[in-house]
Amino acid sequence: MKTAGIFSFKGASLIALVATSAISALGFLWPFLINEKQGHPQWIFLLATPCALLLLMISVSNKELDSKSIALLAVLSALIAALRPMGTGAVGIEPMWFVLILAARVFGPSFGFLLGTISMFLSAILTGGLGPWVAYQSFAAGWIGIGVALIPKGLRGKSEVFALALYGIVAAEFFGIAMDLQFWPWALGSDTQLSYAAGAAFATNISHFISYHFLSSMAWDIPRAIFTASLIAMTAKPVLHTLRRAHTRAAFMTPIEFIERVKA
Amino acid sequence: MITFSNVSLIYPHSTKTILEDLSFQIQEGEMVLVMGETGSGKSSLLRLINGLVPHHTGGILAGDISVDGISTRTVKPGSLAHLVGIVGQNPINGFVTDIVEEELAFSMEALNFAPDVMRKRVEEVLDLLSLSSLRNRSIATLSGGEQQRVAIGAALVMQPKVLVLDEPTSALDPIAAEEVLSVLHRLVHDLSVTVIIAEHRLERVIQFVDRIIYIEGNGETSIGSADEILKSSELVPPIVKLARALNLSEIGTSVREVRRATDEIRSHQYPLPVVAQKANSPAIEVTDVSHSYGEKVALNKVNTTIHHGEIVAIMGRNGAGKSTLLHSIVGLHTPQKGSISVNGQDPTELTGGARRQAIGYVPQEPSDLLFASSVEEECSHADRDNELEPGSTAALLNRLVPHISHNAHPNDLSEGQRLALVLSIVLAASPDVLVLDEPTRGLDYRAKSLFGLALKEYATQFNRPVLLATHDVELVAELADRVLFLAEGDIVADGTTLEVLLSSPAFAPQVAKIMSPKPWLTVSDVVQALGDVK
Repeated sequence: MKTAGIFSFKGASLIALVATSAISALGFLWPFLINEKQGHPQWIFLLATPCALLLLMISVSNKELDSKSIALLAVLSALIAALRPMGTGAVGIEPMWFVLILAARVFGPSFGFLLGTISMFLSAILTGGLGPWVAYQSFAAGWIGIGVALIPKGLRGKSEVFALALYGIVAAEFFGIAMDLQFWPWALGSDTQLSYAAGAAFATNISHFISYHFLSSMAWDIPRAIFTASLIAMTAKPVLHTLRRAHTRAAFMTPIEFIERVKA
Repeated sequence: MITFSNVSLIYPHSTKTILEDLSFQIQEGEMVLVMGETGSGKSSLLRLINGLVPHHTGGILAGDISVDGISTRTVKPGSLAHLVGIVGQNPINGFVTDIVEEELAFSMEALNFAPDVMRKRVEEVLDLLSLSSLRNRSIATLSGGEQQRVAIGAALVMQPKVLVLDEPTSALDPIAAEEVLSVLHRLVHDLSVTVIIAEHRLERVIQFVDRIIYIEGNGETSIGSADEILKSSELVPPIVKLARALNLSEIGTSVREVRRATDEIRSHQYPLPVVAQKANSPAIEVTDVSHSYGEKVALNKVNTTIHHGEIVAIMGRNGAGKSTLLHSIVGLHTPQKGSISVNGQDPTELTGGARRQAIGYVPQEPSDLLFASSVEEECSHADRDNELEPGSTAALLNRLVPHISHNAHPNDLSEGQRLALVLSIVLAASPDVLVLDEPTRGLDYRAKSLFGLALKEYATQFNRPVLLATHDVELVAELADRVLFLAEGDIVADGTTLEVLLSSPAFAPQVAKIMSPKPWLTVSDVVQALGDVK
């Protein structure tokens, strides 16, 4: 017998994660995949993505979270949600990503996914910015959390901090692209050089998107990347230390043994 | 109600057996005290009762524990929530909401109780613990005693049959502690709740408890009535020390009993104790200092002078302004009015090394000063900061508490060890003035006497002043030369320890209560006076 472990996706919840992530990924990528002019697919995804998020949360909260994971999740997501508006969000300065990335590093990618989605959702409630885009933001933050799995587990010390900072840059850019993708078909009307052209060829749309992305949001993504990476570089050592200590103290997966008598 | 049969516990990553072959039974409606030195396993014993150990911590549990017929082996702690209520040492860490009423309703909310049941139970608990006047207050604005009562209330709404409390009065002033203990007493007698309580300050609790479980340092455990256990134990409150020193045939646990037994001693005439000459070389001068937080006045035109070589205790209820006064003296903030000088300097203008050298400060939560990841690192840091030879701080620490593990994380140390670590770091700078805020909470008698010796040595050897804010009257009686008594931001009494402590019934130490009207505060005072007569 062992004490409960930290939350991880397995079995039904893993299937739910893959399925809902796929739906949500379609929600981001549909402008490139549909090359016939037809109806308004964006409306479908605008509904499907929040539904996917809801479904995933229901499947996770069924009974797979134990009290220690809930407590950790609650404290960390409250912290991240409170940190996000502190940077005012201007030019992409959001001091939340470093905590998410470091926490995901310590508590694992599954926990990182939940932390990302929940804290994004929570901060939207705090800042009053609740809308269909929140589900997109939540999935993007969740994927950033789960993506920490890319960093090798055994890495420690300076190379770990370096890898995390590098990941911070990638994550910041990823979030920028994802948010642009989500917004792009809705912006600009339909007749500029940068607009989404419904029914146009894949190549046209991708080149439109890339120009749109560089023009509109590099001013956001570059500061966000620099800011996140430097926050990670500065705080990684003490924050990782504190989180790892919490991980040890929480005694996840520690064996429990019941015996009749201690041998004399 | 609770049965332990042959219980032993081994934590993961450890080979030490915490409790060995412990067997006892606690009946319904009993109040039981768990006592023992810090780190002896009191908290582990308490957490075994609702299964937090080993279900949440891991480890090996031998033997069996059952609560109301349910074995903790077979159920998770959550399933015992309706049966066992647990109140932690520091209530503020356990609160989840902001408002008293909401806090009381929270656990029922989590278990999906019907609204009308919740309404009714919250009302009952508010009445039972006399909290109804506080129902809409924000928890953060309550005093320590009130917070502790709210924490007990939050456990009681589940109508548990067993209530487990870990040092419920350690942060409280004597009056608030009395308040909490009488509530517990009432629960035991009126509702037949079984109460298990761990506490270091035996003088506060022994008169209320039915039985004592004493965990000795060597793993031995004895269980019995207060008289039986205290007759032979090493950890005893002053009241028992007095009985031993006077060779009384019976050990009493309440002031009333021992007072009856010592009638004869009090009837004699004794020479008055010699009052030590008052020092007169000002070290800290506080002139007309006022400070308020919003509407609340914390200090109101306080004037006082602390002299060299004096140990001064600042006493008063929670929220009387003790910490604010200390903060002003160490220069953590500038008082809104008035001025403070420490050896002729303004404390707020000192920085860096000069500051460490001028004022040594041990805050209420000593771990606030610790940031390194091991004891060794902390010590070598202190050496470097104060340009001492490597190992000096560690040597100092070793003298205060031998056998401290140098690789341990500071947060894993016991309260006493942590305080000793902070004290040696602060003393390493050999400060001109030493200021301590509530230093003895969570310390057992042995650690406390070691700590008292260290302070006395500092004060007499270097002729430097020590200023400490505390609720611990027994410590003050042993240690302090002078007492400042604060109430609502005013100094209402300032005099020798003897004068001040004897004049206030609530803040009088046990020996003084027994021996009143004789002017004795401690057991050694009594022994000395008796010896003088002979």
